[in-house]
Amino acid sequence: MSETYDFLFKFLVIGNAGTGKSCLLHQFIEKRFKDDSNHTIGVEFGSKIINVVNKYVKLQIWDTAGQERFRSVTRSYYRGAAGALLVYDITSRETYNALTNWLTDARMLASQNIVIILCGNKKDLDADREVTFLEASRFAQENELMFLETSALTGENVEEAFVQCARKILNKIESELDPERMGSGIQYGDAALRQLRSPRRGQAESAQECGC
Amino acid sequence: MESETNDNISITSQLHLNNSTNANDRVDSYGFEMPEGYESYEKMMAEYVAVLTRRSIKWSKLLQGKVHVEKNLKVKRYVRKGVPNEHRAQIWMAASGAQEQLEKNPGYYHSLLGTEQQHDAKLEETVRIDMHRTFPENVQFRNSSEPCLQKALYNVLLAYGHHNQAVGYCQGMNFIAGYLIIITKDEEKSFWLMDSLLGRILSDYYSPAMLGLKTDQEVLGELVRVKAPAVWQAMAQHNVMWTLVVSRWFICLYIDVLPVETVLRIWDCLFYEGSKILFRVALTLILHHQAEILQARSMVEVCERFKRITQGAFTYDCHTFMQEIFREPGSLSMATITKLRETCREHIVAEMSRLRP
Repeated sequence: MSETYDFLFKFLVIGNAGTGKSCLLHQFIEKRFKDDSNHTIGVEFGSKIINVVNKYVKLQIWDTAGQERFRSVTRSYYRGAAGALLVYDITSRETYNALTNWLTDARMLASQNIVIILCGNKKDLDADREVTFLEASRFAQENELMFLETSALTGENVEEAFVQCARKILNKIESELDPERMGSGIQYGDAALRQLRSPRRGQAESAQECGC
Repeated sequence: MESETNDNISITSQLHLNNSTNANDRVDSYGFEMPEGYESYEKMMAEYVAVLTRRSIKWSKLLQGKVHVEKNLKVKRYVRKGVPNEHRAQIWMAASGAQEQLEKNPGYYHSLLGTEQQHDAKLEETVRIDMHRTFPENVQFRNSSEPCLQKALYNVLLAYGHHNQAVGYCQGMNFIAGYLIIITKDEEKSFWLMDSLLGRILSDYYSPAMLGLKTDQEVLGELVRVKAPAVWQAMAQHNVMWTLVVSRWFICLYIDVLPVETVLRIWDCLFYEGSKILFRVALTLILHHQAEILQARSMVEVCERFKRITQGAFTYDCHTFMQEIFREPGSLSMATITKLRETCREHIVAEMSRLRP
């Protein structure tokens, strides 16, 4: 399997239990909805290489357990994450109210420059909505987060969430962020090897594996 | 589901596998769909049946209809060689003290689900979120199944959360309760077995601080440092925290980590001998696969290998595996574990108060 890429980013998926974190990851990697799995205990991994602004980026994604008490365990995985999907469930106000706590943890424990995208998941369940789009986008703005409403069921905005987050990190690398600084959550891939390959490849599908 | 907590207690004693599900040869005798590679499971079972039959005859002779089982060396030896499924509930109940608790507290379990009990809405909600995420690969837990074990599972977890409010509900307990219900086919027995596991056998794995779990993860690290120093070094080199690779092993007591039959054999010893067995299993997995673990070149590769070493013929063949866990790690005294638990716990508590003064 080809494993060439320009950059490797460590990503986290965090948020309350039952918001659909693992389903988002599964939809992103396998392009399928999967809801017949046991919930996550501890941490699971997934990875995928995507093409963003002419760069191949390998996302190494850490999917975490959401229950409150597991946070004291999963917090130790945050270190050195370059990006994060912060997930709540649009049909559950409680999962939205918990966002501040998750955010504090992520900002405190991951890389200083962590790029976070807020995902209001279960967009397909609009009839049961408890959190409006406007309210959440205001929250995102106040906290300097990107924001999308997603559906792991239909796949809507799922790839976009990961790609937008990666794109922002790439932009940061061009302007201010030094990937070689310790704990940036970014590593260089073997770009030299990539030059030997044909310059055009199918987008976002060069290598896939899923640890879930 | 919540409205049904009170009226289904009587059916639970007769929960049994639908005959129609047995007709599906891709489902094992507990209702689990066979995972990929089930051929090796069938191959193992074909040989294991002979062992089971032999053990079953011996056990019937030993028990001769007795309800109470005394603890002695012979029984211990028998337990290590595996409790036949038809005696499992009885032996687990007797060995763990759950039977005694059940007899001392008649009606207690039902009272926890009754109308007098002030129900905790938050607890109910937390438990409910995990109902469809507990063994969806088991036909007995599907909504379409009759009876559907989700109902029994919900009751046992809710009752336990009310009974032990310091713990409430922690993810992982759902898998444990699920196995107990599959084996005992009885809510009340499952409840008291949960009580002996969480209250006496395991040390504080599921309470909000999860201090016992964190401690045991570090204890395992210390044991590996002595028994497989190269692995310990590799873990340090790649910056892998033990929690990353073994938290699932401990929290789920190997459910969904090792094959079902192997987990049950481990639990036979867990109920009879205590939590030390969890270290024996972990050490055996690590020692047996040292070379494979040492080939890993990064943190993620280490994690992947720790996943892989729980699969395959070595763990499927539960009878040989159980012999290995008492041989491969060598001696492992309770005194050592107790001492390590003390020092590790001290470190963790000190670290916690350093981070959050």
